[in-house]
Amino acid sequence: MSRLEAKKPPLFSSEPLTKDTVIQSLSLLSRVLKSCYGPAGRLKQLHNGVGGYVCTTSQSSAILSRLSVSHPVLSVLMASVQNHVSRFSDCGLFTAILCCSLIENFKSLNIASCTVIKISKHLLSLCMDYLKSEACGCRVSVDFSSVETLLCLVRSVLRSKPACMLNKTEVDHLAMLILKAFIFAVPCHVETNAVLGKCVIVPVKGRRVVDSTVLPGLLIETPEIQLAKPLTVKRTCSNMIKIALFCVSMSGDTFSPEEGTITVHHGISLEMSELNQLLNVGKQLVNDGVGLVVCQKVIHPSLKQYLKENNVIAVDRAGLSLVEPLSRMTGSKPIASIRLLSASSYGSLKDVCIESFASKHFVHLIPDNTVVCSLILCNRNETAWDELKCACETAEHVLQLTIKEPLALLGGGCTETHLASYIRHKTCSLSTSSFKDIDCSQTQYQLVADGFCCSLESVACSLNHDDGEILTDMVYGHCWFVPPGFPSVSNWSDLVSKCGCGINNNTENLNWRLLQGQFGSPITQGCPKEPSVKVADFLTLDCFAAKCSGLQVALETANLILDLSYVIEDQN
Amino acid sequence: LHAAVAGLPVACSRVLPGLVLRRDFAAYCPASGDLRVVLVTEPLRPALADPGTEFVVDSEGQYQASLHWISRRTEAFMKHLQSNDVKLLLSSVKQEEVVIYYAKLYGVSVVECLSSEEIALIREITGVSPYMPFGNNISGEITETAAATFCQPLLLGSKRCVHIGFTSVCAFQPHCLILCGPVDGVNEQHAVALQGAFTMLQQLFKRVDQREECKAEGESQTEASDVCSWHSSSTQKQVITENMSCNSNQVSERQWKKSRDETETQIVDSDLQGRENPACVQTDLQILSNPISHIKEFNVATEGDGSSGDIQKPHATGKRTGDVHENYKSDSFADNQRNYSTAVSAVDGANAVTECERLDVGKDLEKTSCNIVPFKHEESCVSTAQNYSNSLIEAGSVLPVGGYFEILLHYYIQCYAKQLQQSEVTVISNVVADALLSIPKSLYRTTERNSFTKFYLKAINALRKNQPLPLNEKGLESVYCKYQLVVSVLHCVTELLSIDLVIGVKRPLQKIEDNDSEGDF
Repeated sequence: MSRLEAKKPPLFSSEPLTKDTVIQSLSLLSRVLKSCYGPAGRLKQLHNGVGGYVCTTSQSSAILSRLSVSHPVLSVLMASVQNHVSRFSDCGLFTAILCCSLIENFKSLNIASCTVIKISKHLLSLCMDYLKSEACGCRVSVDFSSVETLLCLVRSVLRSKPACMLNKTEVDHLAMLILKAFIFAVPCHVETNAVLGKCVIVPVKGRRVVDSTVLPGLLIETPEIQLAKPLTVKRTCSNMIKIALFCVSMSGDTFSPEEGTITVHHGISLEMSELNQLLNVGKQLVNDGVGLVVCQKVIHPSLKQYLKENNVIAVDRAGLSLVEPLSRMTGSKPIASIRLLSASSYGSLKDVCIESFASKHFVHLIPDNTVVCSLILCNRNETAWDELKCACETAEHVLQLTIKEPLALLGGGCTETHLASYIRHKTCSLSTSSFKDIDCSQTQYQLVADGFCCSLESVACSLNHDDGEILTDMVYGHCWFVPPGFPSVSNWSDLVSKCGCGINNNTENLNWRLLQGQFGSPITQGCPKEPSVKVADFLTLDCFAAKCSGLQVALETANLILDLSYVIEDQN
Repeated sequence: LHAAVAGLPVACSRVLPGLVLRRDFAAYCPASGDLRVVLVTEPLRPALADPGTEFVVDSEGQYQASLHWISRRTEAFMKHLQSNDVKLLLSSVKQEEVVIYYAKLYGVSVVECLSSEEIALIREITGVSPYMPFGNNISGEITETAAATFCQPLLLGSKRCVHIGFTSVCAFQPHCLILCGPVDGVNEQHAVALQGAFTMLQQLFKRVDQREECKAEGESQTEASDVCSWHSSSTQKQVITENMSCNSNQVSERQWKKSRDETETQIVDSDLQGRENPACVQTDLQILSNPISHIKEFNVATEGDGSSGDIQKPHATGKRTGDVHENYKSDSFADNQRNYSTAVSAVDGANAVTECERLDVGKDLEKTSCNIVPFKHEESCVSTAQNYSNSLIEAGSVLPVGGYFEILLHYYIQCYAKQLQQSEVTVISNVVADALLSIPKSLYRTTERNSFTKFYLKAINALRKNQPLPLNEKGLESVYCKYQLVVSVLHCVTELLSIDLVIGVKRPLQKIEDNDSEGDF
């Protein structure tokens, strides 16, 4: 019997952003996320007091999915960022930090939130128009005929995840592998509906990162295969190997219908009957000249033995996740019946061999094409491997997004400071009619724009975790980091050599100013220029689609949270 | 019809033609061009034994033969589909893997687990009924097929969905709205807001009719002229506000309707394009109405046409002490007059201007006299037709947002109250008139102080001087919806005021029928 419990009244709180607890937890979350940001970000160790798995990470996806927050305002923020990450994989921390920063800056303005929202939307549209225009000075177009820009993108993703514990050579090695795997996946002959191939990540833990490699085709782990024996495979006349892929169990378990009853007379064994049927299938496979049988589930030992005797390799327990890529790679159709085999279901392979990494043995299926490839990913320990796997998937996703929109944004904080400079310049020259349209005064607009720019700049500032100063120049609006330990009155040009993204050198007098601590002071800003030379080597680049969307989502979420005046929680 | 995607900026929302099913293909075989679709509602692989029946295995051979027959049968069905050029199979139940396998072999795409609502919708769009494969008709031609122009996978966020463009047999062309927002909650609110907007649009094209026209009476002439002058002022205003002067003549109803469809889609588009506060219906409506406004905003007849017949004074309710009984008093400045029943929509015949009519609402309640003075001014619906309009509120009438409806109503109730002799009606009219002002009051509360007073004075002054109203808001609202709202509110207030005792009960109230059926066990 279930007990009925009296319903609790809903918890009702007004003006959530004025509550101390909310403000404190928001700023705590903001500090935690800021400290994770960038290549020099500090790691977070997440573990449960009672023991078990320990996660060392600096990635937003790992942190946000494991944190539990008390207040609904924070859960909105976190859900928003997590949704963004699930779509774009990249720029999660950027979105989260920007969102927190926007909320904090806008809240301190003492302007009615509806006005703030209107103005900030206008600012966002200015940003988006600029980012999408040809004149945009903080984006580079990606040239797919050379690998350099693509490598920069992948390297930036890998470098921004310090918990992977990679050194420079490892980053270069992995970036090359990821790019290779990605290029494998791009189909050679593009039809109307081009579909990218797939890269399957094979885990090998306890090895050096530089042992990682990319192989065309698929690897299926098979503990029982002896290495010593050379593989003898039947081939067809065109020297290909015929493969049959089964997605039903071939263990001979009796067929169990869901409904109705089956009465079996004495002396009749359905199991035997099924096994005979399996052996019949085996016979047909042998007759059809099949050289390799892969089953998603289990193959009956007798059938396995029979196939082996007839020089057919049988691999079972391949798992559901391999069926789809295997079928794509070989052109075979997964067979779901052990009764009627159609010759059109068979696929073909170029070669089969045995590979072993660390202590694991794999059957390596080598296809004729490279639509599917395997990335054997090694790292020293489990938690670093998990982080690395996530980083590799992000990098792959970033490349996929870039192929759709061949643009990249300058990284290293330069896009943020450049955008802030652009907005400062743009808002100075705004006509009075636009204030009228938004229904606000010019002062209000300036204040909100300043808060918006400061939020963007604070994201760039979070890249720095030491005491050094952060500068921006008045010509390009890029971001420059001064090494720690120098007094703030130094001559900046002696101390900086390259901007955050690496596109500008310290060659001319760029008129630097400090980024931090100037909130509210008027800055006269000319329109930031585009760098004169766009060398594509060793730049820090960010994914265009992910960052644009992150910017929009951050602002939309901040506006949503600022607009909250009541929170009603159901406590039942 | 909508599908929500969380994690994308709101600006990514869009409208897609066709139907989106929120699940992936069980089997997908790319097919280009037009294709035929079959609907099934039962498993296509025959079971060895149906529920409630028994299958007796006499020999191993018989058992294998039966299973063999089942496989053959499934294969034959798919072959049959292929030979009938069917490229897509929609199933309300999950099909066995064998079915999927044969579907793939014979180039038939399969979508499983459609909900009953989806099946019903597809049936309505295409006019086909589910295909029954069993029986002996496996060789015959399949007649129950629907046609589709495309059928493709669609990536929504990270989920793959099925996107089908059915060739509709009815007027309804399905479109699907892809809503994007940072979190699911925002998407839900968007969806609700849009539903509200659509309901409003539907309401917008309703009208309040009156059955009869009367001639203006001498007594009301002064009033009529008053109204007339107001009307002319509004005309002026409209001419001013209307940038498209060519529209000062009537746009024919038909024309308007034609453009309506386009406008609606356009509306939804513009609505979603990076527009305003997601949670706010009002904003949505604002944009929704904008395109419409070009077509019909203040579809004004010339001043000469704007005679007394156009402007109506319907009646609001008021109450007196004891008010158990309601009385509706009808009055009209112009020639028409109507009664409001509490049910609101019914409109009754006209009477002479000064005549009062009483209407029993609560039949068995005690009789107290209570005068109800509904009152309404129609500004923008001024005769679209050549002659004096037959309706009180024209289909598609709109007013600018920002409290103008309330101010206008307030002003006219006050005017009306002033020239009434009966003191109760005057008092009550004033109460209603003042209550109406609470809406603009709260609208202007959020902005700077005194702004309501400013707005009110400006508006009232303009009305007194017959000047055009100062307009600063862009949005429009449906007069019909407002009208329904005011009448419902008055009805609700009357009901609340009639309650004299509230009895609390411990248990949830049950319907009488339930009690009867429970019995005494």
